[in-house]
Parts: sequence; structure tokens; C-alpha cells
Amino acid sequence: MTEPLILGIETSCDETAVGIVRGRTLLANVISSSVAEHARFGGVVPEIASRAHLEAMPNVLEQALNDAKVSLKDIDAFAVTAGPGLIGALLVGVSSASALSVALDKPIYGVNHLSAHIAVDALNSDHPLKPTIALLVSGGHSSILQVNDISSDVKVMGSTMDDAAGEAFDKIARLLELGFPGGPAIDKEAKAGNKSAIDFPRGLTHSNDQEAHAYDFSFSGLKTAVSRYLQQAPNAVRADVAASFQESVVDVLVTKAIAACKASGIDSLVIAGGVAANSRLREMAQERTAKAGIELRIPAMGLCTDNGAMVAALGSIAVSSGKQASQIGFAANSAAGLDQVIW
Amino acid sequence: MITLAIDTSTSRTSVALTDNGVVLFSAHHNDALAHGEVLPGLVRDALKAAERIDQVVVGMGPGPFTGLRVGITFAQSFALARQIPWQGVCSLDAIAVGVSEQEFMVTTDARRKEVFAAHYVDGKRLSSPIVCAPSQIENMEVPIHGEFSQEFPDATKLAALAQGETFTEPIYVRRPDAYPAPVGVKFRPMNAMDLVSVYAIEKVAYREDPWSMAQFKEELAGKNRWYLVAEFKGQVIGYVGALTNGDAVDVLTLTVSPDHRRKGIGREMLRRLIDWSRNKKVSGIMLEMRVGNAEAYPLYLANGFVPLQERKNYYAPGVHATVMRKELT
Ligand SMILES: [Zn+2]
Repeated sequence: MTEPLILGIETSCDETAVGIVRGRTLLANVISSSVAEHARFGGVVPEIASRAHLEAMPNVLEQALNDAKVSLKDIDAFAVTAGPGLIGALLVGVSSASALSVALDKPIYGVNHLSAHIAVDALNSDHPLKPTIALLVSGGHSSILQVNDISSDVKVMGSTMDDAAGEAFDKIARLLELGFPGGPAIDKEAKAGNKSAIDFPRGLTHSNDQEAHAYDFSFSGLKTAVSRYLQQAPNAVRADVAASFQESVVDVLVTKAIAACKASGIDSLVIAGGVAANSRLREMAQERTAKAGIELRIPAMGLCTDNGAMVAALGSIAVSSGKQASQIGFAANSAAGLDQVIW
Repeated sequence: MITLAIDTSTSRTSVALTDNGVVLFSAHHNDALAHGEVLPGLVRDALKAAERIDQVVVGMGPGPFTGLRVGITFAQSFALARQIPWQGVCSLDAIAVGVSEQEFMVTTDARRKEVFAAHYVDGKRLSSPIVCAPSQIENMEVPIHGEFSQEFPDATKLAALAQGETFTEPIYVRRPDAYPAPVGVKFRPMNAMDLVSVYAIEKVAYREDPWSMAQFKEELAGKNRWYLVAEFKGQVIGYVGALTNGDAVDVLTLTVSPDHRRKGIGREMLRRLIDWSRNKKVSGIMLEMRVGNAEAYPLYLANGFVPLQERKNYYAPGVHATVMRKELT
């Protein structure tokens, strides 16, 4: 039997994205982003995102089919992000995928966005899927997960108590007047700065946090510290502030992810989500996992930020592991947790 | 020619299948929050009546955004999957087809105590749909049909409507007031220090007939006035002024510097003006707008202003004004 051909649709935030995979082989990954339209508001505006999804969907679908050189009637199953995310945005993707499923009489899988971020690793490697620790960091989420089986057994080891890592980048970028989105802007600015110039706090890393919050994050104290620093030193070198802030965030992320690997006895780490595109995070993770004897995998750049390939990848895993398809008319869940992997 | 027809512009999700006017299937479900869950099942049921579909026709609104987009994106994707054409029609027209009176209004629930509405005479829609207060429609003293009298878009008639005016984009008459204020722009009362910058913008914005500096001074000192400026990086980039005049608020000016237009600054100033007017407990807001002001007109329409009359040569010979009013009830 040939491997299943899966088309995945992602519309949970500001990217309208369609990916196509055959088994674990990536055939197409098309992303249309409305991020520029949100920039002047300093963050994603749900209504603007939903409008953009509706406008972009037909073109993104056609482009993905062209890139993959397949036609819709060849698709074996459709996968779509059903949550978590912005409800109006999710509904565009779910409705589009439902229409394809009904029109072509093919199964549909509603899938979890967070799980999909990690599942994209299946396209990244030839080796068999095995238990791994996942550091999931983006504008909407920051958590450390123990992934025993991506389609059925994911345990949350820790998550952020306040802002997501990407959100922290956005807020600091605003303080430094670097624009939106903050992640790439700070990454770029930091390259010209001294990362040890300012000793910003590392949230939840004190010894007395070890018991209750060993794998949790908190970035609000860091944000306050940067803001206070800028008030006291208005002429500070922006690049130094950016580099020192970034160093603090990345240090905490990597330290806790490696600690999670050690505590669980799992010598494999996947870093996923938009913040995984950060160059300093990649660099530090590389160094420290090598030292600790942990295998590190980070998806290619275009597969870190929200995309359709990750949704198709999780759909493909669901199909090949014999998971039941979703009932047509399933409800998108904007607040879905990791216990709901397939709808 | 078999048509799959879908409408999700109201609290009802409607699906029909027609073959040149003959109804093969028709079903609906009433739930303002469940379009996404209901629609796929209804369409799957429809396909049991006829597997082959030749075209899709969908109601493009106006309607509450979230439900509306469910129907449109479904129709588009279904058409793409089957490689058949799709067309969009005005959902209010799909209510009007069931009415036999000579003149009437059609309204649907726009939420937040407003209605989407359109005016029909002799079976024709007179203008683009608007969003406004229900009292504004009642004041017209013509029969009202629509969602509030349990009349919904008739999906079995959509195929016939697709012979007339069609739409390729959703009919968004209410600009998303969900948009936040532009980042970094401050809004504060105008003071005498602002007059130089305000006058500078005025001269550029209204080349033929700007207010004079003396007029601005007089205005600022005048009674029952309210003047606000928008400031970006310490520089004035727009201003709005209004006057309480008995039971109404008159908008005196709403101006954004040409360099800062299309950033939501006018919309935010108008929003603040409407809030201020509500606090004054007046019955409505009046304004005059230059005929042909293509940027301002949709903004006013979207905020519930309705054109009342035209004033010839109001600004200058040949430059006419449209008088608009928004009811505050
Ligand atoms: Zn994401």
C-alpha cells in the first residue's frame, strides 16, 4: 500500500497555511501571512486575521496542490487545526476542510495545533518516531512536554505562568521600538549587541522554585526588569539590551528543557514553535545538548512558525496509527488542551 | 443545472438544492452560534438528493462576521473541490424575494442593538445594505420584513438571485470596530498650543476652503464644544470637533493629516465622538460630508450614519454636501 496523501489546513492565528504530505514526506508547504496588517496595532487583531484567512484560502489551497503536483481528488484524508487558537480564525479553516471532506467524501481529522507543532518533527527525520521531550515555544505557548506518543500520549511537564516566550519578545521589542513581530526584530538587533552587558533575571530558576516550578516559565519579571532598566538608563545601547534580554530568555528555556530530559531519562529533545527560529536559541541548544549527550532536533525554519505541513504531518500519523476520523461537524475549540489531540 | 445554495448570514443556517427552480432538498437549523457545526451535515444530507452539483450559490451577507464566513468559505472550498463555479448574492435580497408589498424594508440582526437593513421598492433594492439602529428603520414607516418576524434568507431562491447582482466578497457594511486603536497614537483634548499644527493640517486637507486661524480660536473658546486631537510622537496628526445643539450633536470637523490616513485614526476619533455623544444623552449625531468623499463615506455608513439629504453648493459653488445622521437609542 502506498503511504497516505494528506492535506493539512492551519488558520489558528494569523497564517493561512496549507501543507501536503505523503506519509512522512513533505510535498508542499504554502503560507500566507497577514502579519503586516497587524503590525500597526502591535499585535494580532482577531477580526483582521479572520478576514485575511477567508481571502487567502482558495489561493493558498491551489498553490499547495500545484507545488505538490497532486489534485484534490487524490487526497486520502484532510487534516485541520481545530484548536487552540482564535475561534473566528479556526472556523475558517475547519469550514474549508469540512467542505473538501464532504465534497470529495474523504475523511477529515480535526487536530490539536500544539501537538502538530511537535508532529512536524516526523517530517524532519528518517528515524522511527520515539519518545521525546519537546520544548514548545511561540507567541501563544511556552511549554515543556513529555511526548511518549504524539497522537495519544503527551504529558505537560511545565508551562508558562504568565506570558508566552514569543509574547515576551513582542513586548520588549515594543519597549525598544523595534516593531512587530518582536522575535525576528530582537534576534537581528541582538547580533550587534553584547549578551553579557546586563544581567537580567532568569524567572523561576531559584532553588526554591525547583519543587513546584522546575519546568515552568515566567517572563513577566524579566519584562519589568527591562522596562525599569530602560527608564533608569534611557541612553542604553539598544543592541545590548536586546542581546541581554534574549540571553536571559534562551538560557531559561534551554536549561529547563535539558533538565526535563535528564529527569525523565529521555535523551531526545525537539524544539518547536515560532521561537525555535531564534538563532541564539538554536545555537545554545546545540552546544548544551551536545555536552549533555542529548539528541537535538529543530524543524526547518518554515516548519517552526505556524504552517499547514505540521497539521498534515499529525494527520498522517493519525491515519497510519489507525486513529478514527473526526465526526463531520465537530466543534472547533479555541481553548483546547493537549489531552485533545484528534477531535 | 443543479445548484447547491447556502446561507449563514443570520441565526439560521440554510441549505437547499434546486434544479432549475425545482427544489430537490431544503433544510435549515436555527442556532446563531452553530453554523460551523451544522453546515457540513446539512450539505451531506443534501448530496443524498443529488450527487452531481453544477454550481454553488452563497449568501454574502451582510451578517455577523463569524457565521457569515463559515458559509462563504465552505461554498468556495466545495466549489474548488468539485471544480464547479460559485457565486455570491446579497442575503437580504434572499429575504426580499418572499415579500409581495410594493415598498418595504428588510432587516436582520446585526447584534449590539443594531440591524442590517436595505430598502426595497417594486422588488428592487434601492441602495447598498446599511447597519443602523432599529428606530431609524421604524421611522421610515414602511413595512419591515426579516429576522425579527421570523423571515430568513430563502436558500431555495438563491439560484435565481445569482442571475442578478453578484458579489465576490462578503458584504461587510460594519467596519470591524473590534480593531484596537493604532499603537503609539494618543488622543487628548485640543488646547490653544495645538492651533498652529491644526491649522497647518487644515490648509493641506481643505485647500479650497480651510477654516481660518481665527475660526479655530473662536471654536475652541465656544460653548458646548468638544475638540480632540490625535498625537503621534509629539506631533498633532488629526482632530475632531463637535457641538451639542439641542437634542443632537453636530460634527464640526473630522480631519486626519494626509500623511497619516488609512491607519484607523479617523475611525478611532469617530468612535470617541460617538461615545462622547452618548454621554450627552442626545438623540442623534448629525454631520455634513462633501459629496464624493470616498474615504469618509464608508466610515460613516459603517458607524450607523444614514444619508438624509443633499445640500447643493454647501461648501462652494458645485461642491455639495450630504447630510448624514446616526440615531442614538
Ligand atoms: Zn503555533
